[in-house]
Amino acid sequence: MIQKSVILNFPRKLVDEPLVSRVIRDCDVEVNILQASVTPEEDGHMFVIFKGEPANIGRALDFLKERGVRAILPVKNLVRDEERCVHCGACVGQCASAAFTIDKDTCQVVFDPDRCIACELCIPACGYGAVESVSDHLKRTGEAS
Amino acid sequence: MSKTFEEINERIRKGEAVVVTAQEMKDIVADKGAKEAARRVDVVTTATFGPMCSSGALINVGHPSPRIKMSRATLNGVPAYAGLAAVDVYLGATALPEDDPRNAVFPGAFTYGGGHVIEDLVSGKEVILKASGYGTDCYPRREIETAVSLKTVNSATLMNPRNGYQNYNVAVNTGAERPIYTYLGLLRPRMANANYCSAGQLSPLLNDPHYRTIGIGTRIFLGGGVGYVFFPGTQHAPCGPRAENGVPRGGAATMALVGDLRGMSPRYLRGVSIAGYGVSLAVGVGIPIPILDEEMAVFTSVRDGDIFAPVVDYGKAYPENTGEIIGHVSYAELRSGAIEIAGRRVRTAGLSSYARAREIAAELKTWIARGRFLLGQPVERLPGAESGVVLRKLEVRR
Ligand code: SF4
Ligand code: SF4
Repeated sequence: MIQKSVILNFPRKLVDEPLVSRVIRDCDVEVNILQASVTPEEDGHMFVIFKGEPANIGRALDFLKERGVRAILPVKNLVRDEERCVHCGACVGQCASAAFTIDKDTCQVVFDPDRCIACELCIPACGYGAVESVSDHLKRTGEAS
Repeated sequence: MSKTFEEINERIRKGEAVVVTAQEMKDIVADKGAKEAARRVDVVTTATFGPMCSSGALINVGHPSPRIKMSRATLNGVPAYAGLAAVDVYLGATALPEDDPRNAVFPGAFTYGGGHVIEDLVSGKEVILKASGYGTDCYPRREIETAVSLKTVNSATLMNPRNGYQNYNVAVNTGAERPIYTYLGLLRPRMANANYCSAGQLSPLLNDPHYRTIGIGTRIFLGGGVGYVFFPGTQHAPCGPRAENGVPRGGAATMALVGDLRGMSPRYLRGVSIAGYGVSLAVGVGIPIPILDEEMAVFTSVRDGDIFAPVVDYGKAYPENTGEIIGHVSYAELRSGAIEIAGRRVRTAGLSSYARAREIAAELKTWIARGRFLLGQPVERLPGAESGVVLRKLEVRR
């Protein structure tokens, strides 16, 4: 049994679908909803904790992805949103533990969660909302929707 | 041997043009020499992607019934300039909602502003227009609140007064006390880090240092769609010091850019929140450079090691506008992750995305190679090093 905190972003067309109950029923994963902003006709956001066997949590994440839900897994209170990252490298300049580095070949910024010491110095450096604290991320996506 | 714009366009139309990115051109010239490179290559694509504050959207929202002459307008709460004709507004990238706390609690977060509204619009989202007018016989309505999107408005034109700086400062903070929050990012005290913002050897104007081919009328990649250079940008200052290769050793040229917001993409047009400073818009710009002759092949072969940027103290020299420069460093050093200033090793970070600039150069290359994008021959050149155009300081006279 493991626990995983997950941020789920639902495009508005999916807001009415009972996806969470299918995760619970079909994937055998317990879902604890910590925060949710789900309104008809708008994109929805949820901060949840999945509890279950690792394989089942993997299945749940695959299922949600297939349905078009974007799941972000925070690392030590850090939300890394790949889709918003433009690979500028501003975070790299602040990260003393080399969790953020630039790949020499692709020039893309890569994140190694294992190296992250949760100092959060990278957060104010990122102007694109691609690294945020969990609370800031929920506040921003909640407001924007 | 030299080629004309028209000859190159003819080859593009036939699908025969040889198009390479600026990155690829460096190796071709190193390999084959400039003469041979000029013979083989027709077009070199250059690009940059980074925050460009002097950007904005000119939108005609259309007339309601009854009509209104808007004198105040906001889009998603962000004020737009309405001192134009009745339903034209100009939304600036750095505009903030009236109720944004700004730097009241320092450093301000600046989560949403003009740049984000523009990003929302190009993402296809609806934004809320609120406007008021004083009412006239021809425009009787005084208030309006409705939703608009790129689908509903008559026109939405990205119109950026100053983009694509030829070269730019490297920012450090020599102060001893506190970190400072600048438009070039967070700078820790005692020169603990240095930030820069240029695509260096990929950047458009660094590959055409004397503006031989980039001028008024040049057709470009702008924000994922097609745009044009319509004038020298504000603060265009081509007469500063240059290196032997012709490349300016500081800011220098800028461009005013324009293009239809429809057809652009949020991948290349992004709202940016800069802590303690404000909001901005990150703009992706790609410019094709025709290799008219050997000289253009030499210019486009310029490498990061041959381009130098001034290091400026944003703790004092910049805000007080003293013009002081600590020294110069090359983009090769900047991109290595650390530079040496005054005998000290200082960590560097870029704010402009080299990865995305590479992507834009590759995308533009595909457009041209497929015959979808022809070169626009400038109808006028941008003022050059001989023009005498200099940056004026504002005198405080009373
Ligand atoms: S600062 Fe933000 S946008 Fe830039 S590379 Fe880091 S995570 Fe990506
Ligand atoms: S929290 Fe600290 S260690 Fe982790 S990625 Fe950010 S700067 Fe690096």
